[in-house]
Amino acid sequence: MTDTFRAQLGTIVGAGHVLHQPVDVLTYECDALAHLRELPVAVVMPGSAEEVQQVVRLAARERVPFVARGHGTGLSGGATPVAGGIVISLARLNRVVSIDIPNQRVVVEPGVTNLEITRQVAPFGFYYAPDPSSQQVCSIGGNVAENSGGAHCLKYGFTVHHVLAADVILPTGEMVTVGGAYADTPGPDLLGLVIGSEGTLGIVTRITVRILRKPAAVQTLLAAFDTIDAGGAAVSDIIAGGIIPAAIEMMDELAIKAAEAAVHPGFPNADTLLIVELDGPAAEVAGGMARVDQICRERGATHLELAQTDAHRMRIWKGRKGAFAAMGRMSPNYYVQDGVVPRSRLSEVLHRIRDLSQRSGLRIANVFHAGDGNLHPLICYDGRVPGQSEHAAAVAQEILVYCLEAGGSLTGEHGIGLDKAAYMPRMFNADDLAVMQTVRLAFDPQNLCNPGKIFPTPRLCGEVPGPYRAHPIETAGLAERV
Amino acid sequence: MRDRPTLESLCGAAAVRDPDPLTDRISSILPPLVIEPSTPAQVAAVLGWASDARRTVVIRGAGTRMGWGRVPEDVDLLLSTRGLNRIVAHADGDLTATVEAGVPLATLNAALARHGQCLPIDPPDRAGATIGGLLATNESGPLRHRHGTPRDLVIGIEIATPGGTIAKAGGRVVKNVAGYDLSKLMTGSFGSLAAIVSATFKLTPIARESATIRVGASDDRELAQLVSELMLSQLDLAACDLAVEFGVSAGSSVESHALLLKCTSLSSPVATQVSDALALCGAGRSVVFTGREAESLWAEHLSRRVTSLDIDPPVLDGSRQVPRGSTAPAIVRVSWMPADLVRVLSEVRDSLHGLAGRLTGRAALGAGLVALGGSTSDQVEAIARLRATTALANVVLISGSAPLKERVDVWGPPPAAHAVFAMLKQAFDPAGILNAGRGPI
Repeated sequence: MTDTFRAQLGTIVGAGHVLHQPVDVLTYECDALAHLRELPVAVVMPGSAEEVQQVVRLAARERVPFVARGHGTGLSGGATPVAGGIVISLARLNRVVSIDIPNQRVVVEPGVTNLEITRQVAPFGFYYAPDPSSQQVCSIGGNVAENSGGAHCLKYGFTVHHVLAADVILPTGEMVTVGGAYADTPGPDLLGLVIGSEGTLGIVTRITVRILRKPAAVQTLLAAFDTIDAGGAAVSDIIAGGIIPAAIEMMDELAIKAAEAAVHPGFPNADTLLIVELDGPAAEVAGGMARVDQICRERGATHLELAQTDAHRMRIWKGRKGAFAAMGRMSPNYYVQDGVVPRSRLSEVLHRIRDLSQRSGLRIANVFHAGDGNLHPLICYDGRVPGQSEHAAAVAQEILVYCLEAGGSLTGEHGIGLDKAAYMPRMFNADDLAVMQTVRLAFDPQNLCNPGKIFPTPRLCGEVPGPYRAHPIETAGLAERV
Repeated sequence: MRDRPTLESLCGAAAVRDPDPLTDRISSILPPLVIEPSTPAQVAAVLGWASDARRTVVIRGAGTRMGWGRVPEDVDLLLSTRGLNRIVAHADGDLTATVEAGVPLATLNAALARHGQCLPIDPPDRAGATIGGLLATNESGPLRHRHGTPRDLVIGIEIATPGGTIAKAGGRVVKNVAGYDLSKLMTGSFGSLAAIVSATFKLTPIARESATIRVGASDDRELAQLVSELMLSQLDLAACDLAVEFGVSAGSSVESHALLLKCTSLSSPVATQVSDALALCGAGRSVVFTGREAESLWAEHLSRRVTSLDIDPPVLDGSRQVPRGSTAPAIVRVSWMPADLVRVLSEVRDSLHGLAGRLTGRAALGAGLVALGGSTSDQVEAIARLRATTALANVVLISGSAPLKERVDVWGPPPAAHAVFAMLKQAFDPAGILNAGRGPI
């Protein structure tokens, strides 16, 4: 990093919006995956899309790697800085550009928080559907990068289903609009490719989201079971039974106790708890909830509690959403895993996790999105005990193996980032990864845009041992051996 | 012809055949050979060979959308996906299914129905269209209102690349953010980047009950008002379709305005939803259809726009032959802002300039089709006027006579992201073998 480069950054965004003193950039050395750290050489805070574009152009010209950052709440190290690189913070791009109720869409800049969209449109009876647990603080730009979900994505889908258009500054510095305010932009769905690409294909500077009318009715049921099997079977029965709940969440005994101790939601003592929420037309919700109630009874529910009031429902959700933080009271440290299994195989995988907990001697709490099979085991450990954090990491990895063996995925919503890049070859073979790299290099030929994320190193991962064979990327003329 | 021995060695003699001049034409072009591989590996091998040998390949499923796109340049090989005809897995407890590209939607849905589930895509001529073709065109129907397009339902994909490899992305679970979602990139690609060989979808339960309400409106303003009220309401509709006819009879215009609403229920009688909808729309101008009547109403609504325009001049002796002086109707895809409907209708009417036409589509999403009658010259002028409107965007000619396609740029002006498309095309298909310039990239 030369003083000239730093001065040029200052010229673009104003010297006051470039941080480079170690004490100033320290805040940016990691995202919410705090054990992976790297100090950026500078943090630059543009105030407009044009400034972002100029910064990217400068970085591309000087071949300086850059990492876009929203509010740093990501859990996979997607915003971890790169050695020798800069961080482009989008926190100042935080304007709600327009609210169009008749057309049910809102245009925002990437630094706007997820919940702010709902706050703005709630007076009109609308809301923004994706609801990651961090929705009060996470940025919509980060949501686009990670294709964030949330408890209610079971019925409503992910960020990719709720974003209509995005302005993207490509790694080369060009600006394109992907998707569009109007439906059916001709051509391949670039918007769907960019969403969830973890900041490796460009930087989003403006986002058009669609908003939904609040449902007419909402009901939430709390159901307790004596065994994981009974709870897991109830989840399968609900899914297979022709009901589409807005959410089905599951908590195990350790998570229930932690939540109860921390936020007192009034949960019963149980081995397994389900929270099932239905929304939609009143008759449909009532009919569906009667079926859910019946399924839970058939599966031996020991306690059933239907929240009839908003206050009651809020109390149940407070218990669920507070469970992660509550684990902090139970254990000095914990490691959150984010694997996915087919929902018909929940019980089987949960049993394997329980066995693993006994074998490893580490307590594992489960509090997760059961309706779409997205596990969030929290592996409790004490970082002060030598070797225990490594032990916990190994246990977390073992759980991923269980998920993949059951036909699932490495990540349901937290992303691959830096955290799981090394595991990608367990889910995708060399050809799969080579085609993804082809896409990446088409966008970012200089490998400057959030490098080191998603894909395992060495970067030409399609290589196989043995005699020389042209890599698909070389064949495509996108890379050459040096 | 010279390629036959090579192709036979890649896929077996039975997979290679001469073209049928009636069914294998792509616009005016008849490809010299047709190949129908029966495994994804064979598809990859054919594409890899074609890249090396610089042969142009057009991929086809059932052929129901072959009219889309530009008239192709020379085509060396038509690659049919119909040999990829396996339903790989239906995990009914997970509400997912994995299916090969050549399976017709109707076949898949018949299989899924045994477990009370379906893939909720209802394109106009749903009988034939294959899964691969639906993804490649991202085609949908009225159920898009609730379920989106194939793009919103696909959760995993397997492709054969021009580089000769097979690659997959996504997976078989409904929630998954590992790696790039190449399934999205394939939707709307029209076979320009790679061949889709199989895909995994999230499914939905088949409704227990459903009912359709046809609501008539007397003019543009009344129709637009109705759409606006529906969008602000808490009705949870499965479909909300416009049906506006701009007819001409004896020199004066005859118009009709209607909305078709579909209510479905999974766990309660649908009657409550229907009465809520009637209360909002006005029972006096609404008619409720159920069962077969509803099915034929929707079938007519969708099919009329793709057969002939039978309002003006009238269809001769009911045989749907095209009257003299008129050509096959042109079908133009258009988009608009839902709240701009009054302006949309007025601009479509002006664009028709006295021609018979029809606008159908998703009222709350602003996505639809304009069917144009008239002669080729009339259609050329009408399309130019549609493109010049302020309320319509993404005006694409998706079906029309060969002479029309020669006179109109079917895709319209290059999209904002065309440079990115070109970059991806170069990366996936450096030899430029796929899709023979039919577009959109």
